Amino acid sequence: MNMCVNRICSITLAVFYGIWFAAIAQAYSFDMIVPDVRQPLALSGGSACPVHAHQLTAAGSIAVRWSTAQNANPVTILTLDQTASGRLTEIEQAITQSLAVWTGVSGTTLVPATFTPLTRTATQNACGPDGLNSICFDQADMAFTPGVLAFTRVITTDRLGVQVGSSAVATQLGQILDADIYFNPSDSNTTYATPQALAANPKAYDLESLLTHELGHSLGFSHSAVWSAIMFPFAPTPGTFSGMRPTTLRPDAPLGEDDRTGLRVLYPDPADVVHRGLISGHIFPANPLALPALPPGVTGVFGAQVVAVDAASGAVVGATLGGWSCTAPGPTQFDGTYEIAGLPVGHSYTVYSEALNGAVDPSQFDNGIVSLCRNTVSDPGWPPLQGCVVPAVNTSFTARTRPGP
Amino acid sequence: MSFVQRRRFLWILFLTGLALLAIAANATTLSRLRFEELVHQATAVARLRCTGVQSLWQDREIWTETRFETVEVNKGLLPGVVTVRMLGGSIGNLHSRIDGVPAFHPGEEAYLFLWGREGEPFRVLGWSQGTFRITRDPRTGVERVTQDSAAAPIFDPLTRQFRHGGIRNLLVSIFQLKLREALEEKAP
Repeated sequence: MNMCVNRICSITLAVFYGIWFAAIAQAYSFDMIVPDVRQPLALSGGSACPVHAHQLTAAGSIAVRWSTAQNANPVTILTLDQTASGRLTEIEQAITQSLAVWTGVSGTTLVPATFTPLTRTATQNACGPDGLNSICFDQADMAFTPGVLAFTRVITTDRLGVQVGSSAVATQLGQILDADIYFNPSDSNTTYATPQALAANPKAYDLESLLTHELGHSLGFSHSAVWSAIMFPFAPTPGTFSGMRPTTLRPDAPLGEDDRTGLRVLYPDPADVVHRGLISGHIFPANPLALPALPPGVTGVFGAQVVAVDAASGAVVGATLGGWSCTAPGPTQFDGTYEIAGLPVGHSYTVYSEALNGAVDPSQFDNGIVSLCRNTVSDPGWPPLQGCVVPAVNTSFTARTRPGP
Repeated sequence: MSFVQRRRFLWILFLTGLALLAIAANATTLSRLRFEELVHQATAVARLRCTGVQSLWQDREIWTETRFETVEVNKGLLPGVVTVRMLGGSIGNLHSRIDGVPAFHPGEEAYLFLWGREGEPFRVLGWSQGTFRITRDPRTGVERVTQDSAAAPIFDPLTRQFRHGGIRNLLVSIFQLKLREALEEKAP
């Protein structure tokens, strides 16, 4: 009986600790899209290699507006200033500050001039696939359920020449045509506070932290598995905020190094001579028979998180979800390759690796992993030679690293 | 230790865990729903088998409707065929994506915590939190359950270690036991 009790205790504790640490995440990752190679070469580029979803970064390329319509009963956006105009100003400051967090990262082409000045709209239901990037605080949406605080819906295209509503016509593959941020207005138990109002409202979520995270999605980020990253899917507890508050000297202070590295990979500045470091390698099983038999052609471990830690500072400077590579004309090869780019040169790094756990089917992972392949089943008429199937994720291996030749 | 004492001990242990969870767990996109909250807030809980997926334009957005065959109903009343509608999907050359929204493919089985208002299609409660996928060991036939929100390990920069967690690889029989216990509890 004692054994039975011990077993039940163990199960209970396992469940308890399991829930405690539960999260959906990967190392920093991006929304990916496979170009539609069924289209003429001039429209698809001819390659079935996945490309990053991304925004254009030329001056004035990204316009963002926000809806001033807010839930009044109960008030969900809490501000220090209670006057009508003061409330709007305070919320707008939080949005502006959150945008500045991302444009404050050095070594990228995403700069303040990339954004046109933030504008307001009084339209309550301003969010929708209209080609306008909007932030909505009071738009009831049928996607919400209890427990969903906010989300970003991003529309991308897999061929050139497409537009959504009044968006620019796509001139790059993977170009984001519309990205809208929705905050849940209908959960009376959930409130969001501006930085000025947070201290007085310890049960509210920090609006700036959530906005910064959601804006990361609108720039093409998926989630990160790194605890300190702003793109980590779980926010700080109510009444607290992610990282540090931005300052004039450190406008990107809320970000983790992982976020910064990810942004440099997404929007690399050709003039940047500092963040040009690259760590790449392969993850192979010691026993090749451990590789899945289906789909054919899998030669390395797929679905491993690889994290680079600065040996001196201990900061996580980069992380990625490894296990694949692609060379034009594609398709994706599942050869165990990983690559972490955008690292400061002249530093030493320690690399950690870990398999995704427990989940066997790749469909449950975020966009960064689901969208690596297209084939004749998912897309009728797809050229078979450029088709692939995402293999089951390797879920059990113990990582050992060794230096390359 | 008597049976009553053992039972009380286990409950204290479990409730302590839940109390601590309430302090610590919140999310950017999702706010944490404890298992008991999922059970009580769900309109229905069922084991479902995906039979088809279709994306469509509706209300100016791209939605994905997933059809399921009902295998086992644990809470609520469900017809033999259930349709779940979630935001996002692909139509033509446009791809609408939202991180955290679960996607399914035909043949896949999962325990889903469904939520819906009258006259509206079901949604998955808490998105990845209300999705518990079932995997079957092809050799032994043993089935296990993994919650989507527990799919990946987390790297903790302080300890420089990965943390595994969540409801993952739980035997279906234990998951069902946990589900039954939560259903028998009164709503918080």
